[in-house]
Amino acid sequence: MIRRLLQSKLLSHYVRDLSAVVGSVILLIVLFGAIFAPLIAPQDPYDPKILSLQDSLTPPIWMKGGQAPFLLGADDQGRDILSTILYGCRTSFFVGSSVILIAGTIGVTVGLLAAFYSGILDAVTMRIADTFFSFSTTLMAMLLLGIFKGGGIPLVILAIVIADWVRYARTMRGSVLGVKEDDYIQAARACGGSNLRIMIRHILPNAIPPILVVAAVDFGAVVMLEATLSFLGVGVPINKPSLGMMISLGKNYIYAGKWWLIIFPGIALISIVLGINLLADWLREELNPRLGQRQQ
Amino acid sequence: MKRIPLLVMMGILIFGLVGVLSVSGVAKDTIVVAVGAPPQTMNPHGSDSDCNLGVVANIFEGLLQRDTGGTLLPALATSWERVNELTWRFHLRQGVKFHNGNDFTWEDVKYTMERLRIPYPVSEFLAFGGLIVSIETVEGNPWIIDIVTTTPTSYFDQNLHQVFIMDKESTESRSTGEIGEYPIGTGAYKFVEWIKGSYLKLEANEDYWDGPPSVKYAELRPVTEPSTRVAAIATGEVDILQDIPVELFDIVAKNANLEVVTRPARRSIWLGLRNEPGFPTSDIRVRKAMYMAINEDEIIEKVMFGHAFPCTQIPDPPTVGYDASIERLPYNPEMAKQLLAEAGYPDGFKIKFTGPNDRYVRDEQIAQALASQLAKVGIEVELDTKPKAVYFPEMDEHGLDFYLLGWFDGSYDFGRSFTKLLHSVDAEAGFGGLNGSSYKSIALDRLLEASAEIVDPALRGETLRLLNKVAMQEKIAIIPLHYQEDSYAVYKGRGISFTPRSDTWIVFKEMSIK
Amino acid sequence: MFAYIVRRIAQSFIVLLAVSLICFAIFQFMGDPVLTLAGRYATQAQQDQVRKTLGLDRPFYTQYFSFIANAIRGDFGLSYVTQVPVLRLIFERLPASIELAITAMFLSLFLGITLGVVSSLKPHSLGSRVIMTGSLFGISLPTFLVGILLILVLAVSLRALPPFGRGRVIKVIGNWRTGFVTIDGLRHLILPALTLGMYQLAVLLRLTRGGMLEALQEDYTRTAWAKGLSQRIVMFKHALRNVLIPVVTIAGLQMGELIAFSIVTESIFQWPGSGNLLLTSIYETDHPVIVAYVMITALIVLTINIFIDILYGILNPKISYD
Repeated sequence: MIRRLLQSKLLSHYVRDLSAVVGSVILLIVLFGAIFAPLIAPQDPYDPKILSLQDSLTPPIWMKGGQAPFLLGADDQGRDILSTILYGCRTSFFVGSSVILIAGTIGVTVGLLAAFYSGILDAVTMRIADTFFSFSTTLMAMLLLGIFKGGGIPLVILAIVIADWVRYARTMRGSVLGVKEDDYIQAARACGGSNLRIMIRHILPNAIPPILVVAAVDFGAVVMLEATLSFLGVGVPINKPSLGMMISLGKNYIYAGKWWLIIFPGIALISIVLGINLLADWLREELNPRLGQRQQ
Repeated sequence: MKRIPLLVMMGILIFGLVGVLSVSGVAKDTIVVAVGAPPQTMNPHGSDSDCNLGVVANIFEGLLQRDTGGTLLPALATSWERVNELTWRFHLRQGVKFHNGNDFTWEDVKYTMERLRIPYPVSEFLAFGGLIVSIETVEGNPWIIDIVTTTPTSYFDQNLHQVFIMDKESTESRSTGEIGEYPIGTGAYKFVEWIKGSYLKLEANEDYWDGPPSVKYAELRPVTEPSTRVAAIATGEVDILQDIPVELFDIVAKNANLEVVTRPARRSIWLGLRNEPGFPTSDIRVRKAMYMAINEDEIIEKVMFGHAFPCTQIPDPPTVGYDASIERLPYNPEMAKQLLAEAGYPDGFKIKFTGPNDRYVRDEQIAQALASQLAKVGIEVELDTKPKAVYFPEMDEHGLDFYLLGWFDGSYDFGRSFTKLLHSVDAEAGFGGLNGSSYKSIALDRLLEASAEIVDPALRGETLRLLNKVAMQEKIAIIPLHYQEDSYAVYKGRGISFTPRSDTWIVFKEMSIK
Repeated sequence: MFAYIVRRIAQSFIVLLAVSLICFAIFQFMGDPVLTLAGRYATQAQQDQVRKTLGLDRPFYTQYFSFIANAIRGDFGLSYVTQVPVLRLIFERLPASIELAITAMFLSLFLGITLGVVSSLKPHSLGSRVIMTGSLFGISLPTFLVGILLILVLAVSLRALPPFGRGRVIKVIGNWRTGFVTIDGLRHLILPALTLGMYQLAVLLRLTRGGMLEALQEDYTRTAWAKGLSQRIVMFKHALRNVLIPVVTIAGLQMGELIAFSIVTESIFQWPGSGNLLLTSIYETDHPVIVAYVMITALIVLTINIFIDILYGILNPKISYD
């Protein structure tokens, strides 16, 4: 697998592809901020003991009325915007990676089994997948969270996973069907390899590249989805950090000229999604042989 | 190249159509009011929330009505008296017609009062309906009726402005859905059209018994989003805006096109606390400590943007039982910590707070501010805020530890308020229906029951004041926060005359256009 | 072909049944409807009476069958909150949603394909790069943020367009009120339609561009290119037509996404459509409305999917339906 990646001159292409570099730099900056938020954030915005209403709606530090340590200003509860953004990005990354890991594992397994054994199993799972797919991930997650309220971040992850796993199952099924009849699989089978062994050793590695592309695009989509759900008030609860929630809160002040409540979390959110989309674009071109040929 | 003329033609067609249809501008005989909370149903007994009552009051009428200041006046009854402890006599207005042409008779009153008791299709006046034993004509005269109650109910008439009389014939013959959607009343306005979430259109009732109202057409638009409400009035899309969002108040006030009208609201916002033995908050010292840990001035300044007034008790000054001598406990976090230590909680404790997030002005922000202030004396508040549609049913189960409620008594009677809010829960007797934490004080219950038996209004008022004072100062039955401020913005230069009502109802017949 | 269509419809029918079963289970087990229906102050005895009146004390399967029977007749019961028939509540709001969705769809198809084609002609020109960067932002901005930013810039700062509502609407027939025919209505439509269409636009743009780039590499196009202008146009049209099939298919299949994002858009612009109704009903736990909305959405999405499948078959004779 690693050899294959290296063979495709991934690294040298990566350096040559400006947008991929830009994307990963943006992403790394935000990721760094999110991971080390407790260390670098000026305050813990979700510790009620240290919040003070006296700081509420402080503008960014370079504006009239701005004051340290509120670099990017404060919200209406006196939370430091920069800190809240850092903690919010943590939530974004946590939800994003949890979902792609869980949904990815479920989807890959289901897709692999369905394609490998075909027949009834395949028909049923793909019918379910079709149904899920036509409803759209966003709508399903929204409905699930609307009906089962108040479960916090784990429930948000669960709802998105339920709505999202089919994406992986379909992709996986497609690529497994593509390689299933290949000679070397037949050869492995002829050598008496067990089904499990064939699946894991031979089929899985070949089907992984498209899954990686899907996962990359999906990560951005999940981050957006979490923000959207929190914005609508069905996602992350009020006392947990979320970029979507911040923007929803700032919306109330949209006519009061308190733009920093929206713009900064907005920039953070766009950075994450844009960063991952730039990377995904590059990954897609690298791993898609047809497009790759065109480039050369 | 062939397609372009087609496009041009389509363009001309569309804009021609637009031109023709947009000639008829907005009529000058219409008043459009934007409100924060949409009416939920046109079934006049289907909701007892003021935002619903205040809207259906245009279409329906009670036996009595209230003017803008809250004074009780005749409506479908021309006069009324309390004949004895249990009996109330009403002289009904003659010659009144429902909007469908049916005559208003005593049968309609009887039917309405009996309908209040039927839980399905939804009546939120079950307790009031349960008070009524019989409705009979006096000596066979169909225009004089006696209503007999189960227990002496001194505030019985005080509630009749919000018990709307329905037409017996059309209510019986129509389905629940139709009743909830197409109201037929005797009010100054007839129902025209209701697009839920968009608008409710009304038209003047030319046959109204008090003469046709001055404004021909009335329109009510629910705009739930605070910032959108401001946009609606700033662009002149609506004539009157109810509930200026406090966070955007200055922007509205600075707008030269708008006139701002405010008045202290009748509604108080306060916190309920469980006092079941074993709970930290059953200790009076803990209750005092929580009271003293809350910096209400800061909440008013920073959360309410100055648009609220500290309160010391649940009722507002005009209510029977209001006591001006009650004072707030001072804000004193040090003392609060000391009291907590004395009560055996030197490191504080954990408590779950439940509250609405779409009901009162800045309710969710108040909750967060409380959590932060209480955290500073060591009390860790777990916030659980939810939409009112979820919160209120939960409150009705009386299982909350710490909750926020806003209250004003439409009948101006603290006795009635206490019965609903703080009397120990007794579902059969209809006590403590809104007692969210099953608060229980036998001493207070006794005081209330004593007051209920007093017929002399002055003496009864005295007893209720005492009840109030004991509840607030000795028992800390609740922690009062503030009275809200009612605010309205009126678009200038349209000749609209508008006086806000103490009960926040939007009554179009009181408005006029010059 | 005919057998295929029948099979598709049968499949969709099963899916609908499954959806209805899930919906009904939610309806049954998420909170006791009697508590809401009987009113907040009802006693236990009164609640029991209501339960009996409504047949809610019968076994699950009996109730499910009567639910299905009622649903087929278009009866989804009364909304808990407004006490009004649910279906009427939704149909009243549907025109607003459909107008918004159609406008957004049209915008994204028209602009998406045009810009996609333009950027594929000279893929390395400055204009193409600007378009591609724009499209990257288009797929990276969540719908709600697009809406908020549009309001912030165009409505609040520049005061160019109205920030909420539908403006003046005119009754066409029955419950259908349109905002298409008044200037006010059209002005109100612009921002929400842009918000809703933005993501789709970017997706379709990228799809069209990718497809065009590929098609223009093919030999027959190159030959045509070499032969001169008129031929070039012919082949260009040919290439575009080949690209349009998947683009339109994807656009149709994204209907579910469009509905989902219309909920967000309607909420931001206080658009009086069915999406806004769904959101309010979610907040208010008005289960009958949620259930009916889901069933109707399922019906719409499945119908569209069948149509697209058929259309795809007609456009692309290479597909065989066995």
